[in-house]
Amino acid sequence: MSLPPNPFAAKPSRARAAEKSVFWVFRLATYLVLACGAFVFGDIVLKGSGTVLHGFKTTEQFPYITNTFLFESPESLYVFEHDGKKVEMGDKEYRAFRESVEAKAKLAGQPAPKFKAESYVYSAGGIWPCIVGTVLLVLGSMTIALTLGVASAIYLNEYASDGKIVRYIRLAILNLAGVPSIVFGLFGFGMFVIFLDWNVSLLAGWFTLAFMVLPVVITASEEALKAVPKGFREGSLALGATKWQTIRSNVLPYALPGILTSSILGIARVAGETAPIMFTAAYVVRDKLPWDVDKFSDFFFQGVMALPYHIYVVSSKIPQNEYTERVQYGTAFVFLGIVALIATTSIVLRNKLRGSYKW
Amino acid sequence: MSLESAPTIRPFVIEKARTRLFGLTLDECIHAFFGGNAFMAVVVLALITVFLFREGADFFGQNRANLRIYREAGLEYVDYMRQQEKDHTALTRYLFDVRMRTVKYLTGVKGLTMAQTNAQLAAFDDFSSRYGDTVEPVRGIVADLTEVATAIKTKFTVNEDAKEGRRQLLAGGKKDEAAAVAITNLDFKAELAPLVGTLPAFKDASATFAKNLEQVVATVPVLPTPELQSRMLKFQQLTRDYIATFPATIHELETWDYTKPVPFTQSLTAFVFGREWLTASFWQDWYGVIPLLVGSLMVSFIALVLAVPLGVGAAIYVNQIASAREQKLIKPAIEFISAIPSVVLGFFGIAVLGQLLRAISQVAWLDWIPGFPFAERLNALTAGCLLALIAVPTIFTLAEDALNNVPRSFKEASFALGASRLQTVLRIIVPASLSGIVSAVLLGLGRVIGETMVVLLCAGNRIAIPDFTAGLAVVTQPVHTMTGIIAQEMGEVVRGSIHYRALFIVGIVLFSLALLINFLAQKIVRKYRISIG
Repeated sequence: MSLPPNPFAAKPSRARAAEKSVFWVFRLATYLVLACGAFVFGDIVLKGSGTVLHGFKTTEQFPYITNTFLFESPESLYVFEHDGKKVEMGDKEYRAFRESVEAKAKLAGQPAPKFKAESYVYSAGGIWPCIVGTVLLVLGSMTIALTLGVASAIYLNEYASDGKIVRYIRLAILNLAGVPSIVFGLFGFGMFVIFLDWNVSLLAGWFTLAFMVLPVVITASEEALKAVPKGFREGSLALGATKWQTIRSNVLPYALPGILTSSILGIARVAGETAPIMFTAAYVVRDKLPWDVDKFSDFFFQGVMALPYHIYVVSSKIPQNEYTERVQYGTAFVFLGIVALIATTSIVLRNKLRGSYKW
Repeated sequence: MSLESAPTIRPFVIEKARTRLFGLTLDECIHAFFGGNAFMAVVVLALITVFLFREGADFFGQNRANLRIYREAGLEYVDYMRQQEKDHTALTRYLFDVRMRTVKYLTGVKGLTMAQTNAQLAAFDDFSSRYGDTVEPVRGIVADLTEVATAIKTKFTVNEDAKEGRRQLLAGGKKDEAAAVAITNLDFKAELAPLVGTLPAFKDASATFAKNLEQVVATVPVLPTPELQSRMLKFQQLTRDYIATFPATIHELETWDYTKPVPFTQSLTAFVFGREWLTASFWQDWYGVIPLLVGSLMVSFIALVLAVPLGVGAAIYVNQIASAREQKLIKPAIEFISAIPSVVLGFFGIAVLGQLLRAISQVAWLDWIPGFPFAERLNALTAGCLLALIAVPTIFTLAEDALNNVPRSFKEASFALGASRLQTVLRIIVPASLSGIVSAVLLGLGRVIGETMVVLLCAGNRIAIPDFTAGLAVVTQPVHTMTGIIAQEMGEVVRGSIHYRALFIVGIVLFSLALLINFLAQKIVRKYRISIG
């Protein structure tokens, strides 16, 4: 039995068709953006994950498994022909191999074989120093930024009454958020590296990056503080607590989760920026790991390798070919993975938090 | 009950002594601490300004000295002559372009082989080689004088270095050694004499040059189509115009005076309106911001043209049309895109997008698009596309906020009056939130113009003002940008040199531009916000 036609159904008309098509245009725009993002992400994951997966190796000692790409320092790659086969080796391995072959030839009384090797810088080994450097930069700068940012937000939200000074402060925060990152880099170079004579160092990078994310942290913290209901404060004050006691025991504990989750977005930004650390903290290459210092104070005044800067170096300073591509894509993949992880954590935590606090 | 036996009533006072630091109670101290931290934002902004100016301020003085020696060593004098030679080269290029078009016509439309084409163009080639040869006398003089002027400049620089060395020795208290430093004061008049002395010879050369040119262009070769022929006639006219400029050049040379002072404003205008950014050259360094500024603006413009429709469209879709489930999916996804680091996008541009766009441009049936096909993998378009991906999340988030702030009653009233959904969205919701959307676009612009890594890696880094005569095809030319030049050259310059200071000045320009954009965005929001009550 077929249903009778619905007499109240919308009649197809030109206007309705136009509406539908315009809405489809908007929908297409949205999905085009998403597709572009997915394309970039997918391309790097597809081509980059191979490098990391190929890096896995078993070892004799305790962890039994290690990853040469993640946990070794960058080396030059040598490609040469030996016994009619094409061989690829990292710098150290190549030297050892060459010596052994030459020693063998000497023992047999033959002339030493000639090696015609092409070398590609940074294309062998891994990116361990860059990962370490990035982590150190993020930890230090976020510590500074959170201290300054949370304190500023507490002042703006709890203590300050609307006045001229507060207006200036808010204006400054708003403007600071719009300053290009390269300008922060120039500023950090002029102030920390030259004026304070810290040279290219972790400390200079920390402060430069901290000042850069300050607006993000302040805005996020203020929002979290605002979300704590007024009643909490009034109740505490009515019981005779001082302002600071109120903030310490009745405001901050409830705002802290919010502050931290929103600040994770700031971390993603710190980790992702290259321009501010180019002249303040990053080295193109450094053999020693950061904890390999003579004095404790040297730790703060050393430059480090950093992932974003390493990507810049390997993608612009060395030619593109099948040998260099591995390290380029691999580094980009690891970096994107770290940043994506941070961003996802932030987004998930925030959504969870929004659901959990209900006053 | 007598008074004496009554228990002594103590007045209500807090006896516990308060801890005081610098005369402040603990609470006041905490208050001051937080206030001080909040003030950091202002301090940082002030520090940025101070340090950019501290490093950059000397630029204008140094640039003035740079321009002065340009004049005093006679480089300026030689450049007047060189300009004549350069203009001639530009005309030969025009001629070459006409030849290319003719070849394209002959091989494409007429279907001739390359050998036949060359045979057809024999007369044309003869003409163009004669045309090219006319410049020789002038070229010879310019080449000779270039060496003379460079020698004077080198002498001057050596002298300046010696002076600086002596100053340092004196500062170090080594008087004897300082006295031993040989310094000869340059007598520019005497040094310039051979340079200025060539004027009669140049006049002769110029006259011969003009005569020969007249002779050559008196009869132009005949080309197959009227369109090409009209180009040839235009070339004839251009050459005659060019010859007409000769007396002006001679006049410039006659009235040239090396003692004419270089005013301070010229140092400023040379930067602000300078059309050349040329560093570490053997001849003369120029620090003109125009090519970089134009590059930055062009790349940002391309990015916004792509990002505004997408960003605003997506915001409208998510806020007004999409279902709740779609919203929940799309919003975090776009936020996720904003987290992709710019250096990764830049790498993606080098590794994938550049080649992809070039391959698309070389598809035969897309030939009609201006600028297609292009040969440069890295150009303004590649950078613009990637910057668009950076701008979209910014524009989307802020525009979506603006749309969200439109009160429900607006929508309800519109529906109640019988408007369709489309009418409500386009005529009510979007106009009501227009100020927010415009400021979102502006902030997107601020984000894009300050972006460094993408343009550094993908814009092609050719320091030249793009050729706007190419029409829309200009977007496929490589450019260099303000952010890119700082990132690229800062690592290599000598601290305190004029080049170093110039980069800081570019930084100041960027900084002011960012503040201006921010200011406009805030102003628009405040001024055009509809009162919602």
